[in-house]
Amino acid sequence: MANKFQSKERRLFGVGIQGWIKGFFSGNAGVSMGVIFLIFLFLVFEAVRFFPDHHRELKLVRRTGQEYVDFLRREARGYQEISSYTNQAYFQELDARFGVQRGLVDGFEVLQGMIEDGAEPEIEALAEARDVSDPVALRAAEKRYWGRVGEIVDSAERSSVDSFGRLSTEESAWQSLLQAARRYDAVEEETPDLILAAEARTESGMAEFRKAKTMISSAGSDLKNLRDRLVRIASATRKDAETDYSLGMRKKALLEGSGKLDGKAREEQIAEAEALKVLDQFPFEVRVQPIIDSHDEHQKAVEHLKEQLKKGIAALPTEFSSEASKKLVMKIREAEPAYLEALDQSLEEASEWTWNEEVNWSSSVSRFFLGKEWKTASGGWRQLYGFLPLFTGSVTISMIALCFALPFSIGAAIYVNQLSSRWERSFMKPAIEMIQAIPSIVLGFFGIMVLGNMLVEYSDSPWVSWLPGFPITQRLNMLNAGMLLALMAIPTIFTLCEDALNNVPRSFSEASLALGASRFQTVQRVVVPAAISGILAAVLLGLGRIIGETMVVLLVAGNRIAMPDWGDGLGIITQPSHTMTGIIAQEMGEVSEGTLHYRALFLIGLVLFVVSLLINLSAQKLTKRLGAHV
Amino acid sequence: MTNSTSTGHNADDSIISIEDLSFSYDIGKTNTLRNISLKIPEGRVTSFIGPSGCGKSTLLRCLNRMNDLVETSRITGGRIEILGQDINAPDVDVIELRKHVGMLFQKYNPFPKSIYENVAYGLRVQGVRRMDILDQAVEESLRKAALWLEVKDRLDASALELSGGQQQRLCIARTIAVKPRIILMDEPCSALDPIATARIEELISELQDDFTIVIVTHNMQQAARVSDQTAFFYLGELVEYADTTTIFGNPKAKQTEDYISGRFG
Ligand SMILES: Nc1ncnc2c1ncn2[C@@H]1O[C@H](COP(=O)(O)OP(=O)(O)OP(=O)(O)O)[C@@H](O)[C@H]1O
Ligand SMILES: [Mg+2]
Repeated sequence: MANKFQSKERRLFGVGIQGWIKGFFSGNAGVSMGVIFLIFLFLVFEAVRFFPDHHRELKLVRRTGQEYVDFLRREARGYQEISSYTNQAYFQELDARFGVQRGLVDGFEVLQGMIEDGAEPEIEALAEARDVSDPVALRAAEKRYWGRVGEIVDSAERSSVDSFGRLSTEESAWQSLLQAARRYDAVEEETPDLILAAEARTESGMAEFRKAKTMISSAGSDLKNLRDRLVRIASATRKDAETDYSLGMRKKALLEGSGKLDGKAREEQIAEAEALKVLDQFPFEVRVQPIIDSHDEHQKAVEHLKEQLKKGIAALPTEFSSEASKKLVMKIREAEPAYLEALDQSLEEASEWTWNEEVNWSSSVSRFFLGKEWKTASGGWRQLYGFLPLFTGSVTISMIALCFALPFSIGAAIYVNQLSSRWERSFMKPAIEMIQAIPSIVLGFFGIMVLGNMLVEYSDSPWVSWLPGFPITQRLNMLNAGMLLALMAIPTIFTLCEDALNNVPRSFSEASLALGASRFQTVQRVVVPAAISGILAAVLLGLGRIIGETMVVLLVAGNRIAMPDWGDGLGIITQPSHTMTGIIAQEMGEVSEGTLHYRALFLIGLVLFVVSLLINLSAQKLTKRLGAHV
Repeated sequence: MTNSTSTGHNADDSIISIEDLSFSYDIGKTNTLRNISLKIPEGRVTSFIGPSGCGKSTLLRCLNRMNDLVETSRITGGRIEILGQDINAPDVDVIELRKHVGMLFQKYNPFPKSIYENVAYGLRVQGVRRMDILDQAVEESLRKAALWLEVKDRLDASALELSGGQQQRLCIARTIAVKPRIILMDEPCSALDPIATARIEELISELQDDFTIVIVTHNMQQAARVSDQTAFFYLGELVEYADTTTIFGNPKAKQTEDYISGRFG
């Protein structure tokens, strides 16, 4: 019996038109989901292989003794910092106390140079005339020489070159310097008494400080020498080990490949493989021995360093004419105990170090996520992939951006949605949303050329210079990047926020107004609380946009890979930094596929992906909650 | 067309006095309300009836100036006096006006807050902070709204957990907590079932001792049951205004008779 309700639809390959249409749309949805999934798989696949590679690298670093040498490098680095502070303090103090004398000495040197260059023929003539001792010629030569010297000094007086800046407020010293220069006999090259006296005064006045400075700056020479020697040894070991490893890989590949060949070609390839000299086992034990043996020397160098440093720091002056110098010395004195303790600790760790101890798998993970240094292979000594500074940079910049974006975008959304007139609304909303149309490269350019310069220029005006981190010295920094990112996040947060406010039923605000609440009270007590989950979702999506943004941070954040100097407190926001997105954009182009560096970048990409995913998921959750309650 | 401006009461006991009012939602276009004159006596229930779109809600919203929310709207003629004060005068603070003229909406609309906070809202925005005053006002208002016994044990529960009828009574409590002189009700029962409706009607009768009530309704029986006066509107004009018994028993205008007998509208 025929079916009364049989479909009259035309069919293609047994599928009705409705079926085809449905297939088309579900196919599209499926493809987009599939692409996301594939990207995720690809990321994970490339990224997780970082960990075994990293483990191998850490093992190699231990076997070659590089790890040991790093103890010395770290010890020397801390010492160099103290030493450079001492130098700065010395010169600050020198300037403050003997600025005039220094000005005289330096100024005279410059004038001397000018005379020797500018009066060269006259000097030669004078020298010759003196040699032959012909009174007439001598008088003529002298007259010409002194005339020329007078001209040169006059022109120096008029132009008052930068090099004399120190004397710009010391009129009498300046005049006596010019006087001395006018009388300077470039043939005899006799330094005038004025200058000698100035030198002597400086000498005796700064003698104590200089002694301390010399003590400090020579304290670490043994350690530095030892370090340099060990660096050479470990680097050579590492290079040989790597060569051996890659030769071994090549040999293996050749031998495996030969299986597919026949006859002569096969024999040739086997012969080629055999010709490669590969060590069965790389003799790490032998190569690392000199490093192990140096431990006593290391210990002595550190002891010496500590002793000299303590003496030197104790010998630093306690009274200063220069405020800057005083601060630097205080900083040194504060840093001293921590540094000495760090030295002891480092030495102790070094004595417990063994070259053949196994490397923990967990350290392959933790040295990435908690590592504070990022040094790629092209940097020389050793590669370090520490994710923390990049993460900190990204988070700090995002927080700065949010701090700027939140008040503006939420405030604007509330104003436009609740308080503005229809006429204001008609241009404000499009105008704010228009910000989105600015290409990020243009924003970056603006950040470098305009905002950066403005920040540096105006940050030392008395209005703002009290802010943490102000005055700003570096044009490219996190604050600059954060402000631009805020600009990019404002339209996103604004639009979504405005939607959330719009979704609050009108009846809520009508009820509130009818009860005698003001417009503002209504917004604050009814509308915003009712929209709060939507607003939070908007903020989260704005954050997602900020974290993933690349171009602006790459151009503007300053790209310094280091942990922020926490000592500045909130002032860290004016420090430069690198970011997760920036580092991928910057370095992906130059890495070769499959290297540890390449995988490290992929791993960062994976972290970014996961972070964005989490942010988006929580935003979705929040939006759902809003939907449920209205 | 019979435009009555009196209901038999003295002009003295009227609390709202509308004189020759015309109103437009979009100035330059047609007037939604035209030449309406009407005096509403104090302490009574007055109902507005009329076919859909005739402007009942519009007139009601003129009384507490809710129409201010519609930017393009204007009173194009006439005036409204409440308690002897022209409410559209420039020195009138609309917030003060609304404290005296409360409003109840067609669809119950408690805030997504606790029951307690809903009732306390009007006082809180006036700056009342003392808990004892708030507690007392909340209890008193809920009692007057005949809701106290049902909710006294869960004042902190969300208002949205109540039934529709309870939510509407909560809205009444919220309105009377501010102690207005007048309560405007725009079809307060249209979203409720007959039993909940009956309870609200009962409540209205009780409340008329303390408040002047103006109610818009599509339900003829309701208007007949609860109100003392009835005004019938048609196409933005007031057709007839009289004691409820007169309107329902002996209407003067043909349109009124047709409407209440269900022949159109
Ligand atoms: N906000 C507004 N803006 C413009 N026109 C409006 C607005 N509100 C109502 N109107 C118009 O004003 C006229 C009167 O509407 P109103 O809501 O006062 O009628 P109503 O008598 O309350 O009808 P109902 O019984 O259906 O509630 C209608 O034509 C309506 O389209
Ligand atoms: Mg209506």
